[in-house]
Amino acid sequence: MTIMMAGMFYLYVGGAVAVVFLVFGLGRIDENARGAWIFRPLLIPGVLLVWPLVIWRWVVLMRGEEKLDRHRMPRIRQERAQLVFVIVIPLILLVSFALRQDPASLSAPVLLEAPE
Amino acid sequence: MAKPQEPFFVGWGKVPKALRVFLASCAALLVVAFGALAYATSATQTDTGSGAIMGRTEVIGILQEKPYPVLHVIQSRHFEPGDSILLSGNGKSGAIDQAAGLDGKVVQANGFRLDRGDLHGMQLRNGQRGLKLAADQNQTLDIPVKSLGRWRLQGEVCDGKCLVGAMRPGNGLAHRACANLCLLGDVAPVFVSAGQVDGSAFFLMSNPEGEPVTQEVLKYTAVLVEVEGEVERRGGVLVFKVDPETFRVAP
Repeated sequence: MTIMMAGMFYLYVGGAVAVVFLVFGLGRIDENARGAWIFRPLLIPGVLLVWPLVIWRWVVLMRGEEKLDRHRMPRIRQERAQLVFVIVIPLILLVSFALRQDPASLSAPVLLEAPE
Repeated sequence: MAKPQEPFFVGWGKVPKALRVFLASCAALLVVAFGALAYATSATQTDTGSGAIMGRTEVIGILQEKPYPVLHVIQSRHFEPGDSILLSGNGKSGAIDQAAGLDGKVVQANGFRLDRGDLHGMQLRNGQRGLKLAADQNQTLDIPVKSLGRWRLQGEVCDGKCLVGAMRPGNGLAHRACANLCLLGDVAPVFVSAGQVDGSAFFLMSNPEGEPVTQEVLKYTAVLVEVEGEVERRGGVLVFKVDPETFRVAP
């Protein structure tokens, strides 16, 4: 019961954060979102679940402690990861084809004991 | 003076001149590469066969309850007298509950006909609309029962609803989860052998005592396996009384 109450409280707070963040906050931290409203309700379920994270990021971005640099990916290992995928995915396909059971290799039925 | 910027592509904007050839080449390559990949992948798949749902039907016949419900046809517009039909329920359920207590009785079955070559099936309507005692209990049918000996078979364990025509594919690894759901719902397991015994490659499975064998076959579904057991002909259907101890994955 206590867990249920805690869960409900968490979601109520998440709802409040979602309203304030999506109506007032989003446009302030993301210039691309300014004037765009249709997509915002889609974010409500996510905000309900991760609202502490939303508040933390909101504060960080409002204070200007982190600069949004949209076209420079922060994932520095992405290129290497892509290269690995280029090799690994075809390899998985090839190995799976090689290891796949072949119905043509099955033997015909063998009579072990004739009927009495 | 501003530093000249590299051309940058966005989907809704005008394509920069410097990127046109590159983008057109990428687009063409993607179409060709993915087309070739799709063809190569599909060309290596096993043919799903001709199994299909063939429309409404009504059958009068003698019900065999064990190991799983089978109806031996006395009269029907769509089946020949003497044909044996694997019965299943709606969705992923078998017909064990519907058939309970009707063993050996003349029944009237109503539902959808499933067909895959010489393997016949029927998806019953719910409750008594699907299966009930026939008005005339005096109709008879000779159902020959004959032992065919002990056999070692290689092939695949499938579920006796999808395989018969409810789904395509109704077999193979891609269908494993679906087959297991059907089996857990009491649909009859059917063994598809690499070769024929007494004219058929399809075997209704049971345990050595002729009882259901669902739990024992679940982990071998959709994998090519080898298994031993007695084979018995009951009317138009072969019953494979498998010895679960002898299951092994085929080489």
